[in-house]
Amino acid sequence: MVSTLEPPVSALPGPRRADALIAIDHVDFYYGATQALHDITLGIEAKKVTAFIGPSGCGKSTLLRCLNRMNDLIDGTRVGRGTITIRGVDIHRPDVDVIELRKRIGMVFQKSNPFPKSIYENITYGLRLQGLKDKARLDEIVEKSLRGAALWEEVKDRLHTSGLGLSGGQQQRLCIARAIAVEPEVILMDEPCSALDPVATAKIEELIQELRARFTIVIVTHNMQQAARCSDQTAFFYLGRLIEYADTRDIFTKPANPQTEAYVSGRFG
Amino acid sequence: MPSDFAVAKRRLRLLGLTGDDAIKAFFGGNALVSVVVLLLITIFLFREGVGFFGQNRQNLAIYRQAGLEYVEFIRAQQADHIALTRSLADLRLRYLTCLTEERQMTLAAANEALAGFDDYAGKFSDTVEPLRGLATELTEMATAIKTKFLVTQDQKEARRQLLAEGKSAEAAKVKIDEVDFATELKPLVGTLPVYRDLNREFARRLVEVAAAAPALPTADLRDRMTRLQQHVRDYVAGFPAIETRLAKWDHRRPVPWWESFTAFVFGRAWLTASFWQDWYGILPLLAGSVLVSMVALMIAVPLGVGAAVYVNQIAGVREQKFIKPGIEFIAAFPSVVLGFFGIAVLGQILRAVSQLPGLSWVPGFPYSERLNVLTAGCLLALIAVPTIFTLAEDALNNVPRAFKEASFALGASRLQTITRIVVPASLSGIVSAVLLGLGRVIGETMVVLLCAGNRIAIPDFSSGLGVVTQPVHTMTGIIAQEMGEVVRGSIHYRALFVVGLVLFLLSLAINYAAQTIVRRYRISIG
Repeated sequence: MVSTLEPPVSALPGPRRADALIAIDHVDFYYGATQALHDITLGIEAKKVTAFIGPSGCGKSTLLRCLNRMNDLIDGTRVGRGTITIRGVDIHRPDVDVIELRKRIGMVFQKSNPFPKSIYENITYGLRLQGLKDKARLDEIVEKSLRGAALWEEVKDRLHTSGLGLSGGQQQRLCIARAIAVEPEVILMDEPCSALDPVATAKIEELIQELRARFTIVIVTHNMQQAARCSDQTAFFYLGRLIEYADTRDIFTKPANPQTEAYVSGRFG
Repeated sequence: MPSDFAVAKRRLRLLGLTGDDAIKAFFGGNALVSVVVLLLITIFLFREGVGFFGQNRQNLAIYRQAGLEYVEFIRAQQADHIALTRSLADLRLRYLTCLTEERQMTLAAANEALAGFDDYAGKFSDTVEPLRGLATELTEMATAIKTKFLVTQDQKEARRQLLAEGKSAEAAKVKIDEVDFATELKPLVGTLPVYRDLNREFARRLVEVAAAAPALPTADLRDRMTRLQQHVRDYVAGFPAIETRLAKWDHRRPVPWWESFTAFVFGRAWLTASFWQDWYGILPLLAGSVLVSMVALMIAVPLGVGAAVYVNQIAGVREQKFIKPGIEFIAAFPSVVLGFFGIAVLGQILRAVSQLPGLSWVPGFPYSERLNVLTAGCLLALIAVPTIFTLAEDALNNVPRAFKEASFALGASRLQTITRIVVPASLSGIVSAVLLGLGRVIGETMVVLLCAGNRIAIPDFSSGLGVVTQPVHTMTGIIAQEMGEVVRGSIHYRALFVVGLVLFLLSLAINYAAQTIVRRYRISIG
């Protein structure tokens, strides 16, 4: 079990485990001159759902985007200190190919963003990038991915119509199917349900429960009930610092830090 | 009863208008004025242009009635003979080069050796003399009839004006010599038997002379000579057809209304202020405009779109700050300055490049005309680049960032994201940018007037891509060049208006297409 018994201070280092799949070690992160993350240390376990919670601007999305180096696309961003290692490999090492990294770490965005192509093309996009051309194999993966994203039954008759013709929830599941089609190890989800209605949200949450058997999932969410319902571990961020990181049950029932307690009970945030 | 709840209108009124009304009237008025002016210009264009077709029909009718058409058959026959003589001259040049370069003869010695050939060529070109004599005579006759008719027209016009001014007595004094075409044409058509005799003799002489070709040293020259002789035989074989046409010709055959239209749209000659006959055919000008625009687009599209992709997708912020204004700055060059640059610098450079010995494999190279399609096209490309660049960059900018992120998150490289997501998603915008660039180029005047060479002829497409090294004239260029010196209301004046009308409709179609494409296919991939 994770130790969360020490008295919490604002820069409390998160728990680290020797067997963590992703190890974030004393990471500082900057947008230009602004420091967005302060000394973050935490480990993410394989085949578990880890939730990042916290009020807006607390750095949880930034940290998520560090994991597949999506922040590289923004000018002027840099990791000032510390390392992020995945299976012991420092992802900022010069010989790391960021393209290979992103193939291994899929991502689902806050706003569903299927390409303006057919459903089929959306799912095969990542595979085609890798040079896969075999039609039968592609068909097979499309079906498997759509089933994996619980979307197959709804779209199997219109695979070649535009992905933009689906409802918001379906689009988001299409994006999940697209991400899992390339068989990543980790799936990063950046507030995947924030633009969805409760029914669609419930479906995505159900899906997350199914996906946890096959993938390591890191999910950023504003919705504390969601974190409580679907995650194994929860990290609470506030103003760019990791305040508390523990088993989800502990965070919500007996938070060690008063700030965490105030946040999860809805007194601020 | 006055209430404390003071919400009643309390506005200053001026001439019964409130401030709001005045503002509305001001902006509405501006919009109205622009629309009305645009409408007036369009109406004026059409009014001035449409009259052309009636006048051109009359122009064609006189051509027939005064017998010019009849004489043209014989003139054409003579012109064909001149063309044959010219290819004989070409053959002589090859012969001479062969002697001086391959056999190492001096120029004088080579010319001496060619004496036999020159004798042959002289005889060949002399065969047409009797026919030439007849053609000259007939040309004068037909021109005289046409002049007579035009004088009559002027007299009628003078009388009409006097009548309009109410001077009926003076009007009655104006003598009008009506032209009776049938009588006038009688002597002209009466030369047909003479022509037949001449023609028979001409054919006999020509075949005889052509057959007695001197011996030629190389297989290539012999081959060319055989081909030339074949052409002569074909030429002579066409004589009976000409005779039949002459015999059948009738000056009374009416000119249908559509002929004035087709003569313009499919006319292969633009010939004005000619002593013989004026032709107003738009094809040479249209071909020139299209050719120059195509060359310009060939250069401007890769440059403009490529730069847009680079600036939008690859360049850093600092590069963007430098490149964008830089390209947009090109648009600040007045086109006359570009044209000047084309004449003084680019034309020279391109010609020098074309004459480099290593580049003779390029179609059309080497060439000697400094001002041609290529020179004008290169400069027009410069004019189109800012338009294409700016609009294409806008289109790329409109691709949601989310698409790009999704692509990167799936492990796409930058190039893959550009070619598979960003460019396809903005393709409609890019296509419309290119179309608007085309519109910009096709309407451009100064550069083509200065740099396209201004030769009014349909370019010779037989040389394939080499056609771009020929000089052309364009629709915009001809208007700018000739509008200043035409008589208002004359057929030439109206012909220029019709050319302007064609340009206007072309630009309209291009702009409409560009707008439709953007509206209909906003963002979609495949």
